[in-house]
Amino acid sequence: MDIEILQGPIAIFVIIGIAPLFAGFINKQKAILTGRIGAPVLQPYYDLLRLFRKETINAKSSSFISQISPLINFIVIIVAAAMLPIGYWKPLISFNGDIILFAYTLGLARFFQILAAMDIGSSFEGMGASREATFALFAEPIFFFTLGSVAFISGLTSIYDIYHSIRLDNISYIVFIIICSISAFILAITECSRMPVDDPNTHLELTMIHEVMILDNSGFDLFLYLYSSYIKLFIYAILEISFFYPFSAKSYLLGIVIFIVGSIILSLTLAIVETITSRFKMKNIPQYLLFATAIGILNLLIYTFTK
Amino acid sequence: MFEFFIFILLPLITSLFCSVVKNLRIQYSVSLSVSVLHLILALSVFLGYYHTNLPFFFSVDSLSKFFLLILSNVYFWVVLVSFSYLKRPVTHAAEKSKGFYFLLLNFYLAANSAAMLSNHFGMYWVAAEATTLSVAPLIYFYRNEEALEAMWKYLFLVSIGIAFAFIGILFLTLSAKGSILEGKQLFFWEFIRNAKQLNPIWLKASFIFIFVGLSTKIGIAPMHSGDVDATSNAPSPIAALMSGSLRLTALMGVLRIFEIIRPTSSYEFAKTILIIGGLLSLFVAFVFMFKVTNYKRMLAYSSVEHLGLITLGIGIGGLAFVGAMYHAIYNSIMKVILFLTAGNIHSKYKSREVSKVTSVLNRMPKTGWLFLLAFLGISGIPPFGIFFSEIKIFEGMLFSNKPALLVLTMFFLLFIFINMGKIIFFMLYKKNDNDNSEIGNEHFDFIHLTVILLLILLTTISVLSPDVIYQNIINITKDFGMNL
Amino acid sequence: MGNVLSILFCLSLFYVSITSRVKGYVTVLQIQGVLLSLIIVIPFIYPFSIYGIILPATLLLVKVFLIPRYINKIILDLDIRRVIDPTIQQFSFLLLVIATMVVIFVVSNILSQSTELNVIPFASGFSAIVIGIYIIMFRRKLIVHVAGFLILENGIFLFGTAVASELPMMIELGTLLDVFVVVFLMGIAINKISTTLDGFDVTALGRLKD
Repeated sequence: MDIEILQGPIAIFVIIGIAPLFAGFINKQKAILTGRIGAPVLQPYYDLLRLFRKETINAKSSSFISQISPLINFIVIIVAAAMLPIGYWKPLISFNGDIILFAYTLGLARFFQILAAMDIGSSFEGMGASREATFALFAEPIFFFTLGSVAFISGLTSIYDIYHSIRLDNISYIVFIIICSISAFILAITECSRMPVDDPNTHLELTMIHEVMILDNSGFDLFLYLYSSYIKLFIYAILEISFFYPFSAKSYLLGIVIFIVGSIILSLTLAIVETITSRFKMKNIPQYLLFATAIGILNLLIYTFTK
Repeated sequence: MFEFFIFILLPLITSLFCSVVKNLRIQYSVSLSVSVLHLILALSVFLGYYHTNLPFFFSVDSLSKFFLLILSNVYFWVVLVSFSYLKRPVTHAAEKSKGFYFLLLNFYLAANSAAMLSNHFGMYWVAAEATTLSVAPLIYFYRNEEALEAMWKYLFLVSIGIAFAFIGILFLTLSAKGSILEGKQLFFWEFIRNAKQLNPIWLKASFIFIFVGLSTKIGIAPMHSGDVDATSNAPSPIAALMSGSLRLTALMGVLRIFEIIRPTSSYEFAKTILIIGGLLSLFVAFVFMFKVTNYKRMLAYSSVEHLGLITLGIGIGGLAFVGAMYHAIYNSIMKVILFLTAGNIHSKYKSREVSKVTSVLNRMPKTGWLFLLAFLGISGIPPFGIFFSEIKIFEGMLFSNKPALLVLTMFFLLFIFINMGKIIFFMLYKKNDNDNSEIGNEHFDFIHLTVILLLILLTTISVLSPDVIYQNIINITKDFGMNL
Repeated sequence: MGNVLSILFCLSLFYVSITSRVKGYVTVLQIQGVLLSLIIVIPFIYPFSIYGIILPATLLLVKVFLIPRYINKIILDLDIRRVIDPTIQQFSFLLLVIATMVVIFVVSNILSQSTELNVIPFASGFSAIVIGIYIIMFRRKLIVHVAGFLILENGIFLFGTAVASELPMMIELGTLLDVFVVVFLMGIAINKISTTLDGFDVTALGRLKD
């Protein structure tokens, strides 16, 4: 049986299936680090199941945008997830230039979320939408100075190929990749509304960014939003982990082992970061993001000049 | 080794001695004897009676001989008057500064001699920075707010400037890449000998960085502000020391790099930079003389003017270079005279504001007349030296390929003269309506004697114009590859 | 290896341009001191030479222990408020820093084609020099100015290693001593300024002008 054809669908199912587990895992570790017992690791699944059963109620003032955007958001996120390689598995969607598509599918998802938040007409959600849009403006360049700079150096434009061009054999390249991953980590924190930028647990509207946008959604819509946010977190986790495969050694088993170990390490890192840092002031977030961009720019410059 | 001991080690030892022995009179006598020894040795080295053989990174050539003598001379007179200066009553806070005075002064002498005698850029840098460090606490002698601010600004600005000069020195290393100088030490003479092989781009960068960096210390525009603040707020002997010798120490670094750049294709470029720096300083002095209300600041701007004139002369080259060298001597002596008399006025009136100082000629006639003479001297009235050196600079400018600059320079100098004259005549002659007390009973003190001696010295040098000085300056011009 | 350390040096520059704590500056000074001593000690490990260790050890002592401790002491003694007073927004400052660094890196890369030099330490050192000046220009606190001056000095040091200048050790030690004394005097001056002029800011220094 030719496994090559199946690896794409398997990868996407793995992503969809494991994503809530990853989130639950982070929460559990965080709870332990802060001295609590915490919710079970599988709690995200229970939440999703509960929401899935519930009825959807839309606000009276909302238009059709509110009805379609959770679904669009979910689908688009899955499309983005389908472009990511897991280990050595070739993703379902992979062609030259898909790095651009990847960046803008995520952008589309955000666009619809913002639109839906504004559609409801609540002032809180509008505020959240404006924050999300502002920070996205600063977060976008980070992506292009991390994965984009690897692409620039290798001259390839497909995510799968880009990651496969990474060869961890000379020291300056290793440093380059490590700094890229630092930048990507900051990007992940921002995009997934994690701790120093946004607090996923708080429910104080004034300080929220992402959570405030879905205040008025319920039932199945909320299920879609929540699920897509889990998947998004996992997408960024994969982006981060994929920097560290020894791609020259082409072994499926090794790929999976590294994937699992990488996920665990990353979740631990996230949990530690979220435990030891406090949320930034809202006005300090842009400079934090610019900092990540700066690292990316410097990194690219240095690498291109030393080659 | 003996001269190394006298020039550098002995002042250091004396400085340590002063930190142990707290009696001011003993400190004074030891410092004075050190300065006399220093002066005698510097003079005999200058006259050629003593042949030097300095170790490590030190050596003597005509330029360092010449500048060392200027330093030694200024230092001697400053130390001479220091004791009578320190006897004056000061505020309680400033009383504490007296304990450090001779310590720092001796350290200054060691550092400055090291800078003058060094033949290595690194050594020069370390010594020049050390002079800043020794002078900065002395600026804070009076321990008042202005002095504190002046010290901070001087220390900070000059430290950054010196750091820039260090970048320039590193650029010089870069310029030697690929030549036979690569991997060698940064000795002046090796660079001068092999200057043609240096990379011109880095050499230019090096010149700019060293010139701009050191110009904070030379006190020429546009980096003059820290120096002006410091000179105007320091006690008068220190101000004299700074104007008379410290600025020349910094100028020496510029002269060294100028000497290196001379045989290369970047020579014209360097000359232009020096001319711009000089003219800009004259311009700044010209502008600020219109609005200055503090007579010590006025003198500080006069220093900016004269250092600018020296820089200009060096940039023009030829006869103007000779004039600039003469100007360095005359200006250093003249500045000591001016600051000492101004210090006398200050201790009487307790103010540096021109508007509060009136009818000096009536209230302190001796100081007043000496101040007037000093003013005439600094403005280039014969028979005081400045006249002769300025004439040489002007002559050099007239016969150079840029005679138009002479017009500009004359214009600036004329207005500086007029404005300084206005201020000084106001101070000397203006009668205050409600103040007609104590007329003309100022007793003749030590500072008056010193100033008179200095004026005699200055006039003697400038009128007799000893051949040995002329020969030495001609040697310097030969080192700089100019033929007159 | 020198390149990697220089990159870390650059990262510390980014950090210093977004941190709003005076303490952050001190930490960065310590990190930079460690990095610099590592950079200059590397050539002397193989073959090991005791003579080569003297300068890095002194550097470590002065830049990592003495100076930062001294600055910390001043901060504690004077009870200086813990945040810096920037005159422009941190965000704009960082933008300025990025633009400067990009220009410096590109220019030094161009220069390296005609002269043989180590681009990364060269450009990192030069960036530190410029950023040190920016810090002095765009911050109000005098103690931060001192930190900016020290960053500038660190930059010059790194720059010196990049151009492989052959200064004799005695002179290198002399420069270190000079820098230390400068900082020492500046510390005393800040102390005096806070008592006599009642402030730690440049705004307290406005008496002398024409």
